[in-house]
Amino acid sequence: MSTNNGKARAIEVIEEDSGHQSSASEGSDDELNSSTLPEASMPSTSSKKKKKKRSRALKALDAMKGGKELPQDLVDVVLGKVKETGQAPQADEATVRAALEAMKIRDVIQGKAGLGGVGKKDTGGHKFWGTQPVPQLGEEAPSSDGYIEPSRPSSELRQEPYPLPKDFVWSTVDVTNDEELRELWELLSANYVEDDDEAFRFQYSMEFLRWALIPPGYYKEWHVAVRVASNKKLVAFIAGLPITLRVRDNVFKASEVNFLCVHKKLRSKRLAPVLIKEVTRQCNLKGVFQALYTSGTVLPTPVSVCKYFHRCLNVPKLVAVQFTHVPANQTLARMKLLNKVPEKLKLEKDGLREMEEKDLPEVTALYAAYMSRFGMVIQLTEEEARHQFFSGRGEGPGSWKKPREKQVIWTYVVENPQTHKITDFVSFYSLPSTIMNEPKHNVLYAAYLYYYATDVAFQHGADDDGRLKRRLEDLVGDALVIANEAKFDVFNCLTLMDNPSFLTSLRFGGGSGLLNFYLYNWRTAQLAGMTPVDGMPAGRGIGVPMI
Amino acid sequence: MPSTYVPSSRFQDAAAYLSGAPSLSKVSNSTKLEIYGLFKYLTVSHTPNSSRPGLLDFAGRAKWDAWKSVGEGYRDRVFEVEERYLQIAIELGWKEGERKEEFQTPPGTSSSQDESDDGDIWDKEDEPKGGGIGFGVTVSKISQEGEETRPDGSFHTYAVAGDTEGLKAYLESHAEAQVDTKDEYGYTALHMASDRGHIEIVKLLLDRGANSSIKDTDGFTALELAQVAEHDEVVQILDSRL
Repeated sequence: MSTNNGKARAIEVIEEDSGHQSSASEGSDDELNSSTLPEASMPSTSSKKKKKKRSRALKALDAMKGGKELPQDLVDVVLGKVKETGQAPQADEATVRAALEAMKIRDVIQGKAGLGGVGKKDTGGHKFWGTQPVPQLGEEAPSSDGYIEPSRPSSELRQEPYPLPKDFVWSTVDVTNDEELRELWELLSANYVEDDDEAFRFQYSMEFLRWALIPPGYYKEWHVAVRVASNKKLVAFIAGLPITLRVRDNVFKASEVNFLCVHKKLRSKRLAPVLIKEVTRQCNLKGVFQALYTSGTVLPTPVSVCKYFHRCLNVPKLVAVQFTHVPANQTLARMKLLNKVPEKLKLEKDGLREMEEKDLPEVTALYAAYMSRFGMVIQLTEEEARHQFFSGRGEGPGSWKKPREKQVIWTYVVENPQTHKITDFVSFYSLPSTIMNEPKHNVLYAAYLYYYATDVAFQHGADDDGRLKRRLEDLVGDALVIANEAKFDVFNCLTLMDNPSFLTSLRFGGGSGLLNFYLYNWRTAQLAGMTPVDGMPAGRGIGVPMI
Repeated sequence: MPSTYVPSSRFQDAAAYLSGAPSLSKVSNSTKLEIYGLFKYLTVSHTPNSSRPGLLDFAGRAKWDAWKSVGEGYRDRVFEVEERYLQIAIELGWKEGERKEEFQTPPGTSSSQDESDDGDIWDKEDEPKGGGIGFGVTVSKISQEGEETRPDGSFHTYAVAGDTEGLKAYLESHAEAQVDTKDEYGYTALHMASDRGHIEIVKLLLDRGANSSIKDTDGFTALELAQVAEHDEVVQILDSRL
């Protein structure tokens, strides 16, 4: 993993130097009315003498956006930082240059790729993003958080949809209608996100899509679709989901934008930018002017980046389908032994059981308290918590050993046997992938760690003396046991929340995928994801495990 | 040893082609590394003269490893190396007799060359390539980066890689080689070949008298390793020779 750390450090260095981080903010804002939100303010040097006074690194970034060669300034800055941290005392200019080139840092800055060239081509190019209220690449961190463009009254909003290419029409997908849900499922199953080697493609189930797309307060207008005018075939989709988002000290209504998908044969029609504009317009019409979204692609401008980690459960299958490989100095049999998941639950004696509806008030409160420790989180009402943790549990009887019909989300609580207080909860969801071009196996069954919380976090000093880490190892370790019993092949998570603390001890391995987090029409300084930021430990900036 | 190879005009043409081949941007890194290793073998020396680059320099390290493995795989069979290089060039669209400009730097040695190739792909936004675009989560799998590799050129390396010819050549040139020698991890070559499902190597080792009852550090015999890994044919072979 050392090479990954190397990359991460170098990137962090660039970001740190491109502006002075500031955590200054406007203070708590109980009013969710967007008209009361603050406007972001930029450091005075950049607003008054924007063109004259720019940092050296920023100049280097600019130079890079045009040129082929890595600018000397950038290499110098990185080399200085590498020396300063003492991580690689022998590093010289040539190694730094080679390392940056290997990372394809120029492509990252230009938005063509994620770190190491991993990541997809971008959505409509940065020409499009240059017109949007998002922080532009190379911009300094704001001196205070806030919106980029003020919210507008409905009378000033565009009332008619954006024009589509000839032969296409706007539509929506009603996911409560089985037939339309199936259409959406078919579109996504054949055309949604794949890995870089085109070996795996997400295969959300119909149950999952229905669960994910109709949280309390959803708007059907935010399930934006494009159909072929002549035969009404569904060819593109984007969804917005209403959320209440807290970013550092500000709380506001926002839209979680997800499931952007364009049919493979229509990728040349440049539908993605118009889908984004149309869903934005629909959100604006409901008085929502901010959005949260994620992508494997680097766009202007990530507020954080997290890395995927994977815990292998069914080792022989994962090797057979080339999800993983046997290291040169191991055998498959040994790898199986090393990854063997215990059969017994660690917290069963402490009262671990499946969550029930009656637990909702306590789970909601525990969630709120635990999540207050992170930089960016979604606030949940009890109704929303019911949706997130309970409504996707499927139908019919089940036990921790046997999933229910149509189960998409698994949630477990720990109920103290003496006090009957809910002290912990942990949840994960099911998101299989289609395995392409592999005769023996068609589907990779993957569980994704979702939300969790433990009251150990509120005990004095628990974070520093390792109590929190040990409790999470037990709690997430039990989630692994349950996922293994439920016949999942692999258990995945991102480097967010407290995840970095237990990845090694629970035998998660680093993944090839990165996930960039973005805010639309909101400025804030970088949040800690895969690397620490300004004293904020890795993971703690981000409390939003996306679906 | 330094290269005594004099580049043939075919090789020069192929190298000139590969240095700017558009198809190069689509090949896997391992193929790019192989091309690099073959090129360095032919034009500089059989194995790298420098020490292995440090951890920070992952590209340099991978290139160094690729070069070294070519040198140790082919040893002094220069013409096989050239053949392999030409074969890759042909697979990537080079036609014999075709030549582009003059002899250039090889692919892989100049990263600005690499990058402009890659850039071309990423710039073609209209190309309907697989891989979903846009918002949502990302598909990821276990990354291979930063993993420990075996010391190259050892007897066991051939068994792991499934290189039957390499193993044969090794046994012929090392009269003292014991087929049942354990590596530093406690595996015999038969253990590794059985685990990986390399049928020909398993047969070869058994023919040379390999002992199939030896257990590895976890207590598994070669047969058990093949069973766990579901290499049915290897299981049959081991079973029949017990």
